Amino acid sequence: MAEKNLEVIDKESKQYIVVMVGSEQYGIDISYIDNIVRMQKITRVPKVQSYFNGVINLRGEIVSVMSIRKKMGLEDDVFTNASRIIILKLEEKGAIGVIVDEVREVVNLSEDEIENAANKGKFINGIGKHGDELISLLEINAIVDDNI
Amino acid sequence: MDVSQYLEIFIDETSEHLQNLNDCIMELEKDPENMDTINEIFRAAHSLKGMAGTMGFKRMQRLTHDMENVFQEVRSDKLKVTSPMIDLLFKCLDAIEGYLDNVKASSDEGTEENELIIKELNDFIAGANGNAPAQAAEPAPAKKEAAASGNGGFEKKYFEFELSDSERDKIKDAEKNGAHVYGMTVFIQKECLLKAARAFLVFKAVEEFGQILVYNPSSQDIEDEKFDSDFSFYIASEESYDKIRDAAKAVSEIEEVIGEEVRYEVLAAKQEKAEAAEAAVEAAAAAAAPAAEKAAPAQAAAKPAANNAENKKQTVAKPVTNRTVRVDIEKLDALMNQVSELLIAKNSIVMFGSAEAGDFQSQSFHEQIESLERITTNLHESVMKVRMVPIESVVAKFPRMIRDLSRKLDKKMELYMTGEDTELDRTVVDQIGDPLQHLLRNSADHGLEDNATRLAKGKPEVGSIFLKAFQEGNNVIIEVGDDGNGIDVDAVRTKALERGVITDEQAETMTQKEIINLLFLPSFSMAKKITDISGRGVGLDVVKSNIEALGGDVEVKTELGAGTTFTVRLPLTLAIIQALMVEIRNEKYAIALNSISNIEDIPVKDIKYVESKEVIHLRGKVIPLIRMDQVLDIEPKEEEPESLTVVIVQKGESLAGLVVDNLMGQQEIVIKSLGKYMNNNKIISGATILGDGEVALILDVNVLM
Repeated sequence: MAEKNLEVIDKESKQYIVVMVGSEQYGIDISYIDNIVRMQKITRVPKVQSYFNGVINLRGEIVSVMSIRKKMGLEDDVFTNASRIIILKLEEKGAIGVIVDEVREVVNLSEDEIENAANKGKFINGIGKHGDELISLLEINAIVDDNI
Repeated sequence: MDVSQYLEIFIDETSEHLQNLNDCIMELEKDPENMDTINEIFRAAHSLKGMAGTMGFKRMQRLTHDMENVFQEVRSDKLKVTSPMIDLLFKCLDAIEGYLDNVKASSDEGTEENELIIKELNDFIAGANGNAPAQAAEPAPAKKEAAASGNGGFEKKYFEFELSDSERDKIKDAEKNGAHVYGMTVFIQKECLLKAARAFLVFKAVEEFGQILVYNPSSQDIEDEKFDSDFSFYIASEESYDKIRDAAKAVSEIEEVIGEEVRYEVLAAKQEKAEAAEAAVEAAAAAAAPAAEKAAPAQAAAKPAANNAENKKQTVAKPVTNRTVRVDIEKLDALMNQVSELLIAKNSIVMFGSAEAGDFQSQSFHEQIESLERITTNLHESVMKVRMVPIESVVAKFPRMIRDLSRKLDKKMELYMTGEDTELDRTVVDQIGDPLQHLLRNSADHGLEDNATRLAKGKPEVGSIFLKAFQEGNNVIIEVGDDGNGIDVDAVRTKALERGVITDEQAETMTQKEIINLLFLPSFSMAKKITDISGRGVGLDVVKSNIEALGGDVEVKTELGAGTTFTVRLPLTLAIIQALMVEIRNEKYAIALNSISNIEDIPVKDIKYVESKEVIHLRGKVIPLIRMDQVLDIEPKEEEPESLTVVIVQKGESLAGLVVDNLMGQQEIVIKSLGKYMNNNKIISGATILGDGEVALILDVNVLM
């Protein structure tokens, strides 16, 4: 896994962090990622959108944490030792945490390794082919959008 | 000179002078003969002009200059203060404020010339002097500035700069030698890029005919392009004026050349006049000196802030958005003292940390912790004080606004303000202006009846609007009200029914208070006709949401026929509050201490029911109970305990009892926002981080009631 990180980065390739949610591999564009933290105590916030688990204290700042499973309509999270909170930073609205089951690796995907997903659902903007594996690339703006 | 670093100070001080002018002119309207006020206005206008000039805002300078001229005439008793003049002066102030807004937004004054106002101003001056000869009576330096800021009228500028003795002698000698001396002013086209080169060509052309005696600006400045778009000179020649002019005009990109033959005697006479006028101006300057001195310390205080801002501001065109607070140096000293105490306390703790633990040491360690606690509390207080500014800066513009409204609506009204020195956090003060303005407009437009109706009702003809600010515990209360007709509750009810906002059933059961609160719903305007003052449907709901965004709330009290009062309640500070920490099952919540009235243990058997809602009867008051676990979607307890811990909270005059499981004690908490992702229903106003790093949510009890 480690040597893959050392691959030369093409101009036209993007780096993705590969995470597991359920049995599927998802890729998150690394430019959105601020930080990856271990699971910690999440304070529940009443009366908010159901896909929010609550808020955490990230070095003195309050960050909302959402469940990507709930957002995508999958079964509830089971937190394990491998669970992580990915802190995404979006320009407009600031930081938000997304819970994933496991963080696997960082991959480089060049444009010809990405296939446009025509009917792959609203949260996916493409399929990355990395060796034998398929990685669904997440559309971050859709994930954090309240209306989708 | 790069003046961008002074922009902050300029904006601050210009606003102050404008406010001062507004106040003074209002006063002048009431007492047109008051010489002190007139002098004060003259001084303020003069300072404004000077500052605008220094910053290179020519249009602003020109306007203030003409305004100053009017006052010059008033001061010398040539002009009487009249109502049209007051109106015009207010128009001037608005125009200057327009410039200032432009400066704030883009560091540039914009392109509005305000010709109309300037013309009207000049008409006043002309009226005062029986037209033409007025010019000579004006102080010469002022006139020069007017010329410099002129925008294309081709004045005879060569006539306006002062000549030194040696220069005059030169002209005299040339005249003696039988040459003609011509004064000339050359205007270069505004778009011209190489002005110095054009000037050089002009000089080369005219020097074929004679010798240039005097340059203005100096030949060095002209060479360095240190002139606006025109320059003047005196030339001695034997040729006719027309020839020289044509030669100068033949140079490309020259807009206009004007001039004429001048005689030494004329110049000498003019010089004398100018000197006399200058003496008069000096006297005026002496009078203005104390005012300038007063402004100086304030300026010194503002400087550090401006210096900070300077670092951030690299480009001139960037909007000037940095906000400053002028701080009393004493407050800063107190802050500094506390910081040094903090350092000492830290050092002692470090010392204890490295020493071996023992009984004696652990006791003094405890003492150190206590002292640290005391210092941080004081530090917090001091920092808060630094952030506090009197609401005066916001409310000071209201008398003027009410005056204008009074004219526009043709209703007589008077604004009474008290408590302008009440202090609030700067952030709150900045945002409170609009809502208050809205409430005042509301009072003026809807609240007060017209004069005839008032007389018919036996009320004083002049309506009263009042604004009272005062501190109450940890809140600042601002009351805005009028002695007008009050809110017609039935009319509101009918309107709400018409609009389908409420159902028939609701209309019957709603209390008067609930109906009045309908006014705060979006786009619920009671105005019968839409005026540009109010009634556009963006009304009280905006006021309410603005105030709620600041952590405050607004209430209405009204009595039909006697008037309406809006009570705005605002927190003193925003960032840090004293809170009571409570536990509900295993979740921790903070309740702002200032909203808590008392805490009670209530036996379950004492709970009564009113309209199938739980209430308790406490010291003669019926208080509704709010089960926090239900509100917050927490699993209910399996068995009800025998007695409940009830936190009684207060909002204005209404009370409510919050049922919690446990009290954890009082704590100073730092309020943090929940971020922009969560759609909270406002019950949670924020979060805070506890000593152990855990997050606790802050309950907004105002929403619960």
